[in-house]
Amino acid sequence: MADFKCEIIIEGKKNARDPEGETIMRDLMIKHGYDMVHSVRSGKILRVNLTAKDAKEAEAICWKMVNELRIYNPVAHSCTIKVLTE
Amino acid sequence: MTQETVKKNELNLTKEEKEAVFTTLKRDLTLPEAAMLEVMNSEHCSYKSSRPVLPKLPTEGPQVICGPGEDAGVVDIGDGLALVFKLESHNHPSALDPYNGAATGIGGIIRDILCMGARPIGLLDSFRFGPLSNPHTKWLLKWVTKGVGDYGNCVGIANAGGEIEFDPSFQVNCLINVGCFGVMRKEELALSRATTPGDKLILLGGSTGRDGIGGASFASKNITDESESDRGAVQIGDPYMKKLIIDATLEAIQVGLVAGLKDLGAAGVTCSISETADAGGTGTEIDLEKIRIRESDMEPWEILVSESQERMFFIVKPENVEKISAIFKKYDLPYEILGTVTDSGHCVVKYKGQKIVDLPAHLLTKPPTTKRKTRKPKYLSKLDQKWLPKEPKVEEYNDLCRRLMASDNIISREWVYRQYDTEIGLHSVVKSGEGDAGVFRLQEFGTKRGVAVTFDGNSSQCYLDPYNGSAALLVEACCNIAAVGAKPLAFTDCLNFGNPEDPEVFWTFEKAVEGLADAAKVLEVPCVGGNVSFYNHDEANNVAVKPSPVVFVAGVLEDATKAVNKKLKAADEFIFLVGETKTELGGSEYAKVAYNSENGLVPQVDLSKAKLIIQDIIKVIKEGLVTACHDISKGGFFVALTEMALAGNLGFDINLRRIVADTERSDIKLFSETPARFIITTKEENIEKIIATFARHEIPASFLGKVSSEKRLVIQDKDKQLVNLSLDEINQVWKYRLEEEMEGKKEER
Repeated sequence: MADFKCEIIIEGKKNARDPEGETIMRDLMIKHGYDMVHSVRSGKILRVNLTAKDAKEAEAICWKMVNELRIYNPVAHSCTIKVLTE
Repeated sequence: MTQETVKKNELNLTKEEKEAVFTTLKRDLTLPEAAMLEVMNSEHCSYKSSRPVLPKLPTEGPQVICGPGEDAGVVDIGDGLALVFKLESHNHPSALDPYNGAATGIGGIIRDILCMGARPIGLLDSFRFGPLSNPHTKWLLKWVTKGVGDYGNCVGIANAGGEIEFDPSFQVNCLINVGCFGVMRKEELALSRATTPGDKLILLGGSTGRDGIGGASFASKNITDESESDRGAVQIGDPYMKKLIIDATLEAIQVGLVAGLKDLGAAGVTCSISETADAGGTGTEIDLEKIRIRESDMEPWEILVSESQERMFFIVKPENVEKISAIFKKYDLPYEILGTVTDSGHCVVKYKGQKIVDLPAHLLTKPPTTKRKTRKPKYLSKLDQKWLPKEPKVEEYNDLCRRLMASDNIISREWVYRQYDTEIGLHSVVKSGEGDAGVFRLQEFGTKRGVAVTFDGNSSQCYLDPYNGSAALLVEACCNIAAVGAKPLAFTDCLNFGNPEDPEVFWTFEKAVEGLADAAKVLEVPCVGGNVSFYNHDEANNVAVKPSPVVFVAGVLEDATKAVNKKLKAADEFIFLVGETKTELGGSEYAKVAYNSENGLVPQVDLSKAKLIIQDIIKVIKEGLVTACHDISKGGFFVALTEMALAGNLGFDINLRRIVADTERSDIKLFSETPARFIITTKEENIEKIIATFARHEIPASFLGKVSSEKRLVIQDKDKQLVNLSLDEINQVWKYRLEEEMEGKKEER
């Protein structure tokens, strides 16, 4: 068994609106002169440290967990899971 | 949708609908035209199944300013003011994405109030879920509550109340109905009409994306297994932009710059350009390229049917365009001038110099109705209306009462409404959880008057007897309004049913409408608007939701400070039961919780008597004779009185022997759900006046006992001691169970 660092990234689906990202772009970046910015998307990252047999199992645990506990909603969000280190 | 589908005539339209289109047009459709017709012919937009049935509802009365047909109902509340209110479902979106589904439900209902010209001041909600202990229910309840709370709190509109029912038939298809109300001066009424050719059409607010494409069509289908990944139907709300839209819109109305106003909900731009033209007897012509799109590769048909949130559609006289633009700029809101009102009777859309749509407006707004078959459901003939449980033994009552107070449909909803802002705007006099209806004062509008609002539904009774169940729920909602001292004025409804193509479902729908209609006529509480949600049917398990009409009744108090709540106020005050108790256990919480039975007789309301009781309750409250009032509904007399005790943190000591009932059985006196009954408390000096008031109409008002400073619930029937429970013990199970189900058990209280 070994320790793994996993990153669970939850974002709104590609074509869904993201009022938070839009506001950061419109009311912060562009208003302060960063008018080269033309898109900002917000999201959420969960860094999870866990113990598993191998990287494959670590990833599988993460997927099972996010689906079972409804940590993201497949209807509204996309989810990516990366195992960072062993 | 593609050009190919249109060419092959594989449109999602019935034979009659296609016939109506092609006999009028006598030519092939363009792709955008086909998309617009499909969405406007969907059940959600066209009301094709329900339209033949709905005219049964009475819609007129001296108080009605605007009845069904506009975006919300409008009633006169005196002092030059009008109340605007509406109730709508967001069932399908919330079943899949509870957070965004519920939030955009709130966003949509706020727009309906705003587009009549009123400032939205309060929100209500009604939820139906599967059993509370189920993990899926908890997931839905958690995110629906958060969605409603986040949107309502951010946009700054207070919650005024609501109701929740848990029942296995809502396991997959939850029902999320939301209501909003607002107030305006009568002359500020804005109508969704384009009456004058030459006027300009302006789109205000958010950009248009692929979100919510086909939302109305999606809401017109059963939920299937594939729905989890049914892309594109989810919309995301933006309450901060909505707040700016509300302020900008109201400012434009107040300075007289708005000739017509429509919100963009289901069917988006398509609905706006066609309904305003048809209602005003004009036509509309727009240039589609003017619309700001979020995804550069959007096709014209997608832009036309997109249901992107936070958009409003203005009709403005040409000379006012500059002035209204200045207001929109002040609020930093994007807008586009899309086109012009014409006298053609057609909706014309141009794109890149080409005319891509040219349809008569009425073809979009008045599609043919569908006559549905009806058949009395088989399950109804299996029910035993005469069923009565064996009378419980004296020693069983304490436990029965405990179980009832801890059951899904009785426990406190505080975990839900404490997530809502109930005070913002400083309007609330009777807040969520304090009384049978929410009461808002209208100081801001320069009057002493107050408005009272309530939601009600009873799917258990409507399932067993849709006619009487629906009649009873409208009576019950009017009783809620009366219980705070207000006069019920009108209602709007949301009729949530399964698949209308199923004759058994449609039979229940017809009966429910008849029940509502008959009650509304006698009570003189007309229907001023509504919404129908069909296809709440889980195909995978073949379960339709129980028939679930939900009503939103609004009333008025001449003096908002005279409103009463349900809290017991002081020891030694006298407790009275008003109204007659009947052996009516069908659909009751008692039958469900104690016997898991769906048998028994559903309450059969005496509507004329109910009307008199309501009038007299309002009278005694207005005269200041009542210190607390609560109407009896789910769980019967016992639950109602216990809720009063819990709210006031005082006990009671009563005897049931004076209850006027058609039975001697104590359990029926305690748990029957006969409507149009009230519990009131009063001071000794007012007893005679109260009895005399009710005696004029031969309404029983029975003295049962007193409020006690000792925090115990003590009930006797003649010489039998039935209940003796500690208030604190009941409080533990009643008040905290929902929170514990949602967040786990807490260590200490």
